[in-house]
Amino acid sequence: MKIVAIAGSIADISYNRQLLTFIASHYASQIDIELLEIKNIPMFNEDKDQTQSAAVQYLVHKIESADGVILATPEHNHTTSPAMKNVIEWLSYKVHPLNQKPVLIVGASWHTQGSSRAQLALRQIMESPGVGALVMPSDEFLLADAKKAFDELGNLKDSKTIAFLDTVINKFIRWINVLDALQEKKKQEPWRQEDLAGKHPVETSIDIDISDDWVEKAAKLVKATSGNHYVQLNRGVLTVDQLNWFLNTMPVELTFMDDNDQFIYYNHFLDHDAMLAPRDPKQVGNTADLFHPKRAVEHVQQVIWALRQGQKELIAMPVPGNKINQKYIMHFYKAMHDADGRYRGVNEWVLDIWPIVSDYLKRTGQKLIMDPDSKPDATTSASQSEPQRVLSSRVEGKDVQTINDMKTSTADAVTGASETTK
Amino acid sequence: MLHYLGIAGTNIQRSTNLKLLQYMKKHYSEEAVIEIVDISNLPVFYKASQDHIPEAVNVISGKIRKADGVIIATPEYDHAIPAVLSSALAWFSYRIHPFAGKPVMIVGASYGSLGTSRAQAQLRQILDSPELKASIMPSSEFLVGHSLEAFDDSGNLKNLRLGVQLNGLFSDFSVFVKLTKQMIHSQKQAKEQTKNVNWQDN
Repeated sequence: MKIVAIAGSIADISYNRQLLTFIASHYASQIDIELLEIKNIPMFNEDKDQTQSAAVQYLVHKIESADGVILATPEHNHTTSPAMKNVIEWLSYKVHPLNQKPVLIVGASWHTQGSSRAQLALRQIMESPGVGALVMPSDEFLLADAKKAFDELGNLKDSKTIAFLDTVINKFIRWINVLDALQEKKKQEPWRQEDLAGKHPVETSIDIDISDDWVEKAAKLVKATSGNHYVQLNRGVLTVDQLNWFLNTMPVELTFMDDNDQFIYYNHFLDHDAMLAPRDPKQVGNTADLFHPKRAVEHVQQVIWALRQGQKELIAMPVPGNKINQKYIMHFYKAMHDADGRYRGVNEWVLDIWPIVSDYLKRTGQKLIMDPDSKPDATTSASQSEPQRVLSSRVEGKDVQTINDMKTSTADAVTGASETTK
Repeated sequence: MLHYLGIAGTNIQRSTNLKLLQYMKKHYSEEAVIEIVDISNLPVFYKASQDHIPEAVNVISGKIRKADGVIIATPEYDHAIPAVLSSALAWFSYRIHPFAGKPVMIVGASYGSLGTSRAQAQLRQILDSPELKASIMPSSEFLVGHSLEAFDDSGNLKNLRLGVQLNGLFSDFSVFVKLTKQMIHSQKQAKEQTKNVNWQDN
């Protein structure tokens, strides 16, 4: 089991670092604990984003690959140290490596209080939605009188203190194992096999590295036809130009994602910002993992897996933020199959259905009334509504998360998915 | 006229907490002078030796000492005050204690609807610690939620009810400042307590 530990102090001498050093050596036979240095972390500043700096990325990678994190906090002014809070702000802004990570909080202090207030404050911070850590409940290891607590070799002197620390560390190991078991259960869900990363090229896949000019390079490699060259279709014969005129006047935004989860076409007749689901010409050629944010990935996996396995032929969902009787943008995902019935990718189309409904009502002299008996969200399962929401908010090109507001800002996106099976 | 120091707990220029202080400075210019100081250049707090306290810390500390009161506007990051403010307060409580007995008014603005309620509660606890021992104005909370939409183009608060609320609290603050000056025993005690703090604790 791999644990990383951070002492919330950038002083040369720190009892909290000493405590972590003791824990690392004393429990070395049970767990592998690595102390991380935070001295070079710059002051958090939204105007000068240094998430990608080596100092911050070092912490991100170490934490991401660890099974758990131990934080040792000093107490400054009744709270955790500025240095500790500063690190956590970097780890809750553009990246969230502590999300769902098992965390143990300990603390050492000179006084009898032994960092009790700091631990409480840190717990509250770690459990905020932007951080999202899974802090071990109930046990608090407070080392008071830290100056007298260690012998000259850096070992804790008091055997009762060590005995209590034993129980805390063992409980933390169980805490990690329990949470891991829950994760394992999740990992076995079949849709997680959908890797989205284009790792299984098919015979139509074009062997060109992903880049901004993927389309040009790919077309050159396969000697793609264009312009006034004819292609035979089912059913007709068109030139490529004619085909473009045709597709670019469809009243929907069309996207072709192939059976290797690679985005290989969209009908590009609108600029990025004018689209209902904004696409960039440079994105063509990307695999599905690249143009979806990390938090939406699970839902994209579920959708594609359901289509690939034939569990669903068509999945339809409204985006959040639709305005009833003004604008109602829908995304449709339909499985494509070849003549032998083999899955060949997803046809996605996006449109605002309100103009159609409104035109129909006008032509037939009708108007809409609410049906008191209807339950529009009845088909949404609770466990799926969250990922659907985040996927949709991304495809609409609006990233709504902020550092201190992750949950509340998405809370008004109430629409769930309605699924239609043919 | 009373002279206050305004501290926005932020290091970003477009901060709505800075906007809130600027609004107060302008709006109450006939009642008090509010000087806004910038804490964005202070380093992350570390235990410096006596001779090595950063000059910027000493400059602001001198201003706090001279001011009749301090107004702190805090954002909220991860359910707590931002590190930049936490760090500044640590500097102002280490070897120097400009906040001891100093009247403080707390306000805050946030993009979300809660308006920094958690950060303000934490800030009260911090300012009350033995290293700081500020005199925090009691029973007063001023929260600006949805702060991106709270000010008009001239920097005025759009919500009249909030404006009236702030007028009342600001007027109370001047009463609180005068009252605090008369509380000579607790003032003396605060100053003595901060001197006894031992910072070798971690």
